[in-house]
Amino acid sequence: MSNAVVGLTPAQSAETSLEQAVCVEGLRLKYPGEDRLMFKDLSFSAARGEKVLLLGPSGCGKSTLLQVLSGMIPRATEVPMKCEVQRVPDSWGYVFQDPDTQFCMPYVDEELAFVLENLSVPREEMRERMQAALEEVGLDLDELHMPITHLSQGMKQRLALASALLLEPEVLFLDEPSALLDPEGREQIWSAVKAVSEGRTLIIVEHRIEEMAHYVDRVVLFSPEGEILGDGPPAVIFADYEQELKSYGIWYPGVWKDYARSPAGKELFAPIDGKDQVAGNRLPGDGGTLPDVLHREPVIRLGAFRGMRWNKPVISLPSAEVYPGDFIAVIGPNGAGKSSLLLSLMGLLRAEGTYELCGEKVIQGKRRKVRKERERKLRQIGFVFQNPELQFLTERIGDEVVYSLLVDQMPPEEAQMQADRCLERFGLKGMDGRHPYQLSTGQKRRLSVATAMARQPAVLLLDEPTFGQDARNTFAILEMCEQLRCTGTAILMVTHEMEIAQRAATHIWEIREGQLTSSMPSPRWSGGTESKRHTVAGVNGAADTPSVISAAHHHHTGVSS
Amino acid sequence: MNIWNPVRITWLHRANPVVKLGLIIGLFFMTVLTHNLDFVMYQAFVFTVCLLVLSGVKPWKMLLFLIPFLLAFISSSSSMMLFGKGDTIWWEWGLFRVSEESFYRGLHLGFKGIAFASEGLLLVTTTSSVDLFYSLMQKLRLAPKYAYSFMASIRLLPMVWEEYVIRRQALKVRGVLPIRGIRGIVSRAGLYVVPLLAQSIRRAHRVAAAMEAKQFDGDGAKSRTYYYPFRYSRYDLLVIGLLAAAACCAYIAAGYFPWFGIGDVRFD
Amino acid sequence: MNGLGTSMQEKLGVQPRKGLRLSDILVTVLVSLVLGVIYHFWGSVYNLLKPLFFEADELLYGMWFAAATLAYLLIRKPGVAIIAEVAAAHVEVLFGSGWGLTLLLYGVIQGLGAELVFAAFRYRSTSAWTLAFAGAGSAVGSMIMDFYYSYTDDLQAWMFFAKYGMRIFSGAIIAGLLMLLLAKALDRTGVTSLLRPASRKDYEALEDPRHV
Repeated sequence: MSNAVVGLTPAQSAETSLEQAVCVEGLRLKYPGEDRLMFKDLSFSAARGEKVLLLGPSGCGKSTLLQVLSGMIPRATEVPMKCEVQRVPDSWGYVFQDPDTQFCMPYVDEELAFVLENLSVPREEMRERMQAALEEVGLDLDELHMPITHLSQGMKQRLALASALLLEPEVLFLDEPSALLDPEGREQIWSAVKAVSEGRTLIIVEHRIEEMAHYVDRVVLFSPEGEILGDGPPAVIFADYEQELKSYGIWYPGVWKDYARSPAGKELFAPIDGKDQVAGNRLPGDGGTLPDVLHREPVIRLGAFRGMRWNKPVISLPSAEVYPGDFIAVIGPNGAGKSSLLLSLMGLLRAEGTYELCGEKVIQGKRRKVRKERERKLRQIGFVFQNPELQFLTERIGDEVVYSLLVDQMPPEEAQMQADRCLERFGLKGMDGRHPYQLSTGQKRRLSVATAMARQPAVLLLDEPTFGQDARNTFAILEMCEQLRCTGTAILMVTHEMEIAQRAATHIWEIREGQLTSSMPSPRWSGGTESKRHTVAGVNGAADTPSVISAAHHHHTGVSS
Repeated sequence: MNIWNPVRITWLHRANPVVKLGLIIGLFFMTVLTHNLDFVMYQAFVFTVCLLVLSGVKPWKMLLFLIPFLLAFISSSSSMMLFGKGDTIWWEWGLFRVSEESFYRGLHLGFKGIAFASEGLLLVTTTSSVDLFYSLMQKLRLAPKYAYSFMASIRLLPMVWEEYVIRRQALKVRGVLPIRGIRGIVSRAGLYVVPLLAQSIRRAHRVAAAMEAKQFDGDGAKSRTYYYPFRYSRYDLLVIGLLAAAACCAYIAAGYFPWFGIGDVRFD
Repeated sequence: MNGLGTSMQEKLGVQPRKGLRLSDILVTVLVSLVLGVIYHFWGSVYNLLKPLFFEADELLYGMWFAAATLAYLLIRKPGVAIIAEVAAAHVEVLFGSGWGLTLLLYGVIQGLGAELVFAAFRYRSTSAWTLAFAGAGSAVGSMIMDFYYSYTDDLQAWMFFAKYGMRIFSGAIIAGLLMLLLAKALDRTGVTSLLRPASRKDYEALEDPRHV
């Protein structure tokens, strides 16, 4: 190890490269067990003070390159690599993607102290430096000694940035710091990054670039094979490689508009005439309508419905109805009770009040017989959790969907055939034998949606299915939802993405502090200034109409014309 | 972070964790080497009282936690009582044979168990993990990589619990095909354990990378500074005195007010 | 720049680095803490078997050695078995087990029992036999502790052999073979590849002319 350090310390000579903050030349790197090299003689450098954005499809090695540039590979993580020239910065900080796995201590001050201890900073100076760092990233805490678990995900990422700043970094490496944040958190982390970037070199890997696309000096675009495809100022790269940006699923500014103009997008976002309720369910392509019978009865009817956790109501709906072919986007701030709503509809939280599913009462109660009966009824609902891995049951992708169908007592051969068709539709064919955990994050998500959709449930509940996904996967998931919706399934999707609520959903439910505060048709549900079907009795309904929705209405006119 | 939520801060909370650890280990050896039934009974009694007073935890809550002690008592005494060697047979039925010797030995074991438990809880209820590992690093030169691995893992443990809850819900939603017998039990257990451990491994690995990115040097305890300094204080002396006095009380009481009066339970 | 033409491979040496890295320890400790929670609740399962016939509960005892063998199967380096058992015991102590600090001592000895078996196989074997022996080794470790702790040598001879025979058997089955199954299931998920050191072959592939 000691001799390795010689090669990794910043090169002392370097006549030509004084201006370079990081540099690697002729890099070859191969992950153990993989067949091909991840990088084949790659060269990359960044000048001091330069802000560089690395773009590329997932799996192209951007994050790995970041780790090589910082020296994390091979110092902390052993990956076989060699290179001709390498210059690692004297001081650097690193912010990773997952807000939950960046800290080792339970409290904010202890975590920041951990970094200062590593630098042997005297104890007396610690608090002052912590406060300065928190201030720099705009994290205003009442108390330094605050449990990290009390922070929102966005605040955690800013805390991660603050602890990176304590290292007084000359170079900041940011590895998709906003990928797992909601729009608000994204906004905050990027404004914090911008605030601290003065005089520093920034090397950023990110898929969501709406917030900083035009802030960086230089964009480097990678091919799926890990080669540099394009390298230049953002405007040039975005203009020259539009097709690549789209096919790599990058969230570039205007990606929703571009998609809406594409044939698939036109179909997905096709306006629905809400006044004529029957025509609301056009099948894609043929323009046919569903049998009327689907529309007479709501598939879910709730009255004075309350979902309980530890005997306290966490979500209340005075009354609500969901009809076949509805696509309801459930929006609202974190912790407002959106997920609790889905869980209590699924019978995973105890509920009170009236709950009718497909015209039958779902009876609450603990007695075995009542419970069995309830569970049987609730099997008409499909559910997709946030973390796909936690819902896989088998060790083969091929078996995953079959399993769902077998539980529904389908004969094995038929189940196999239907599962094959389903996997094909979800773009997962040909990898039947692989373990679900070995898929990419996007594929995992699609598989988890597939297991729920294959059963053709009457209602499908999805908890932020597009969270952390690239644009391509997001659209793919929405397309699948739309297909299912057209066959009459009602969809409830918790989401933070206003574009989904406005463009793809038919209705928007807003939840605040455990209450359904508004229930409106979405801009897509045209003519839907008011729909009698979706009313909220009582609670501060109309007065509290969220501004986003009125904005959505405004937006809508633009789209449909 | 103390999961016990003490309502009062006692001397024991203020003492240096390393001193407490040494002290408890000392008491622990004293109990192991005690073969006198009366002395061990008084130890069990005295340290339980100490625990109720010094832990700072609400007494009813503490008493709730004493229930496992009772189980330990029954479990460790019963098998010795029923199956122990001995000459003076009191009762015999089939394979069971209770002799005078085995009966007292069983009782002795039970009290020992209670004494151990109280001594252990004296430390656990008054010392948070962070405090313990910080002082182990500073006073006993424990390599930081071990100390921080423990602290980081303890922080991650609640996330594993959350995932367990979600997994349980997910299994309910997906419906699980019934398999009977031992195979069924094993495969059902695997449905829980494999995903949770897989996530844990990945998480631990990521946290390790994040820690190294913060310039953590796991072996270099020398130049490291510490946010929480742990020095010795007068509370250490107070606590040493208090617990030593408690032990003495037990010893004297055993001498003056013996309940059983049988001396060494080894009967050699 | 100064002689940077040499490859990373030469600088690092091809041999996997000895000793435990931070990630090795962290993975060991976290996995063991999770098992420690299971240990804690295992006590109630254990008590369930008690009424069946006396000491039948010993058949479940092997669960308490699982951390040692599982950690070894994941990390495959010296020392992890002991760390794992101590970490698992730490959770039980934290949760306020009736056994108190004795558990830590039991953890050390049980871990040592498994560790010695792995050392005898020079930390290279992951065969079913090795694992079964390691589980049994932990059982022997706990037996030695029992001598000091609870006068087990004073049990009637048949009882003594029945009790520890069952415990050793249970150690071999639960801690040995079941954990081997579990580790294989984890290998199939692919996460354990994070923990495996790169082989010489991987380094050699960097020089492979086919890639030029």
